[in-house]
Parts: sequence; structure tokens; C-alpha cells
Amino acid sequence: MIQVSNLSFSYTRQPFISDMSFFVSSGEIFGFLGPSGAGKSTLQKVLIGMLTAYQGSAMVNGIECRHRTRRFYEDIGVDFEFSTMYEKLTAKENLQFFSSLYEKKTRPIDELLEMVGLEHDGDKRVADYSKGMKSRLNFIKALLHDPLLLCLDEPTSGLDPTNSRMMKNMILAERAKGKTILLTTHNMQDAAELCDRVAFIVNGKICALDSPHNLIMSKGAATVTYTWIDNGEHSASCPIDRLSDDEQLKRLIANNCLQSIHSSEPNLNDIFMDITGRTLL
Amino acid sequence: MRLGSLFLWDIRFQAKHGFYFLYAVLTVLYVAVLFAVPESWKEKTAAILIFSDPASMGLFFMGAIILLEKSQHTPCAFAVSPVCPMEYIIAEVSSLSAISLAAAVVLASAAGADNLHIVLLGTAISSMIFTLFGIIIATKISSLNQFILWTVPIEIVCFGPAILHLFKITPAWLRYYPVNVCMEMVSGGTPSAMGILIVMALLAILFILSKHCVLKMWSSTGGVKL
Ligand SMILES: Nc1ncnc2c1ncn2[C@@H]1O[C@H](COP(=O)(O)OP(=O)(O)O)[C@@H](O)[C@H]1O
Ligand SMILES: [Mg+2]
Repeated sequence: MIQVSNLSFSYTRQPFISDMSFFVSSGEIFGFLGPSGAGKSTLQKVLIGMLTAYQGSAMVNGIECRHRTRRFYEDIGVDFEFSTMYEKLTAKENLQFFSSLYEKKTRPIDELLEMVGLEHDGDKRVADYSKGMKSRLNFIKALLHDPLLLCLDEPTSGLDPTNSRMMKNMILAERAKGKTILLTTHNMQDAAELCDRVAFIVNGKICALDSPHNLIMSKGAATVTYTWIDNGEHSASCPIDRLSDDEQLKRLIANNCLQSIHSSEPNLNDIFMDITGRTLL
Repeated sequence: MRLGSLFLWDIRFQAKHGFYFLYAVLTVLYVAVLFAVPESWKEKTAAILIFSDPASMGLFFMGAIILLEKSQHTPCAFAVSPVCPMEYIIAEVSSLSAISLAAAVVLASAAGADNLHIVLLGTAISSMIFTLFGIIIATKISSLNQFILWTVPIEIVCFGPAILHLFKITPAWLRYYPVNVCMEMVSGGTPSAMGILIVMALLAILFILSKHCVLKMWSSTGGVKL
């Protein structure tokens, strides 16, 4: 679906996105994970044909992005990180308006509103919407024309846990229908849960690219931490795959002396720190 | 039909923002003025009123519309839609021209203008020219103050000569100056073939320029604060 090779782009003279290469297959949820300012949105704007002054190649749906025509957008749905609605029109009017711009048949508006829990707010003006309602509305706007490729910029940011859950389920449902989804986020839980593969992006470069599972495995096994009392509290830890070599632990178990025992699996955040030397925030 | 839909939604949008109400009120006001002036001034007064308001309202209102759209990030939505810049421009230009024409019909009839069809043709062409100028300026700027500043030179080079021309104070060769051709038509005079040709050329240039400006605005992502 997407094939990027040796892509470079900059807003100014200084290089920003430099020499990126990767591909995204059809039916995949692909995540760009990185701290804010890393260039995730910029990369997405190149892929949706909004920034055409790039070097290298970026092919989307068989079309080189800088040569895209207006037809290109019949098959691409974009959810920006900000609202792009007419504030004075109601939610329904906005969706009707944007539906009318497509040649192909669009999805029923009431159904989409219901899916994001806005069925009772469709006749309210967008100006009266809260921030979370606006993000849900903008999300379904991207789904209106049932696009092959969905580009979502921080879709769950600013949503409460319930709505975030609902949106993630909708994203997974789109994948189940065979759609390709490009997702930027600085939320590692979302990335780990949703993405088939993630690219770590820092300072305009891809530092790592793999499935969340493989990335987590690359850090090695989880560790077990245990505590016991012996003239005060002590604690020690040991990799989970070498517990049987830990004589001290064996003795503590044999004597029923353990106070507590925990295992901790590395998460994507730890991996991100390890690989890039930076936190996600 | 995408163009038809854009046009209808533009009209709805303008109605919601009170454009139609405003022009209904202004038109009543202008008709009152026409009834107040002496019979012999009527036609010239009507020409000035039509030219300086309904025909040129596109300059200001296009600025307001685009600044509003920028502040709501809708240019980004257009940038990733199948809409062509030209469709967007034609819809805006024709929807604003509709308001111009409606007001001009009333004013010209109230003044008892003879060549109503020429007055209306002149109004339509003027309205297109001013709206296109409005689009070109509005895509380049990011605040209302900047916009007002930029419209001043346009007003000087458009309104000054046109009004002088109406009173026949300008030299003969200036009758080919595009806004003067427009003014001539708005006052009911039949334009020369050369004049029409020049006006059409100006329109073509403005359409092409505004297409580039709109495309550029759509792909630059910065919003504005009003
Ligand atoms: N239109 C623009 N012109 C110049 N610089 C920009 C523009 N848009 C974004 N930037 C800069 O690019 C950098 C990365 O932005 P962005 O791609 O939005 O990062 P992310 O989405 O990863 O948070 C920021 O430092 C930002 O200031
Ligand atoms: Mg971003």
C-alpha cells in the first residue's frame, strides 16, 4: 500500500526528515511512535500529498505522492490532530457537506454518529461541541467515504478511557474490513495494542521498526523481583528465564520466607528509551 | 454533482452567516437613497451604488470567508478531498455573484435603468473580478487587519478611475481600463468589443492566479487567529 524509499523533507534549509525507507502492506495498522516534534505529522503530510517538495520516493496506492491528482483522495481518509469542521454548521450538516464532495457512495451519517455515541448531538452546532466530541466527529469524517487508507494523527489524544476504547475498537474493525491504517501517536499503550508494526521516530529518523511483540522481546525476558525480611527488608531480582539458578531464591522458597514476588515485563516505553535514549513525552 | 453541491452549500453557509439578511437591509437603504435624489441623478447614483457595493462586495466578503475557514482549518479538509481548487473558486464566485445580481436587479429597476441586461452583465463581471481579487489576497494573509490593509490599493486603483470614468473625466484611452469597462456596463452603456476582450483576459488571469493561490493555501497548514 505504501512504499517509501530514501525520503527526505525539510520545512527549512536544515534537514528534518532524512533518508527514510519503509513499506506498509495492505490491511496493516502501522504506527509512527515518537515524542512530539519528532516529525510524525510531517511524515504523514508527505504521505497524504500535502507536502510535495520532498526528495526520494513515497508511493501510496501505486501513486507517487508528489504527482497525485484530486482523485487520489477518493481512497484516502485523513483525521488531522485538530478539528476541520465548519463551526457554525451542525455535525450532520458538516458530514452531509463533506459526503457530497465524493463521487463514490458514502456511508450513512446516522450510523457513523451512532458508532461514536454522538447520535443525540447530530443537530448541535460544532461550535458547541467539547474537544472530545470534536475528535470523535473528525474521526468519522475520515470514514465517510469508506477509504482504503486511513491516516489518523493522534486519534485517541484528549479522549476519556471509554471513548478511547470505542475508537480503538473502530480502528480494529476497519482493519478487519481489510483497510490499511496509518497511525501517529506518542501513547505507547495504544501503539502496542493496535499496531501490527511500529516505527520509532526521533528527530526525523526511524530508529527501529518491527512488531511491538518483537521489539519487546528484543529487550530480553522479564525480570522477577522479590523481597524478604532478615534483619530488615531486602530485595533482589533475577531474569525470569534463570530463576532455577538463583540459589537464594530457592532457599527463600524452601523456607517460606518470601515477603513479596513480582515479575515485570518490559513495555514499549522501556524499549523506546533503550533504543532512542529518549522518553516518549 | 460536486460543483453544484459546493455552490448550494456556499449559499447555505452565506445565509447562515447573515449575508442575505445584510444585503436585503442594504438594498432597502439604497432604494431609499435612490428615491431621495433628484430624477436626473438617479441613473448615475444607481451605477455608483451598484458598483461600490453589491458588485464589489466579493472583495471583502471573500476575505472574511477565507479567514474564517482558515481559523477553522477547513482548508486542510479541502486539501485532502477530491475537490479541485477551480471548483471551489467557481462555487464561491458564483454564489457571491448571485447576491450581487439580486441587489443590482432591485437597484437598477428602482432607478428605471434602460439596459437592465447590460447592467446585470456588468455587475456579474465586476463581482467576479472583485471576488477573485478577494480570494487572491485572503489566501496570502492571516489576519483581518492585514486584509483591510491589502484591500486599500485595490480600492484606489479600481474605484477611483471607475467613478471618474462615469463622469467622463478620464482620457479616452482609459475606456479600455478593465474596471472602467465594468463601470460603463453597470451604468447601462454598451461596451466596445475591445473592452470586453480586455475584461475577459483579466478574468482569465485572475482565475489562474487564484487557482494557484488556493492550492498553495490548502497545502500550507497554518491556521489563523481572528
Ligand atoms: N509548516 C511548517 N513550517 C515550518 N516548520 C514546521 C511546520 N510544521 C511543523 N513544523 C516543525 O516541524 C517539527 C515537527 O513537527 P511535527 O511533524 O508536527 O511533529 P510531531 O507530529 O511528531 O509532533 C516541529 O518542530 C515543528 O515546529
Ligand atoms: Mg503531530
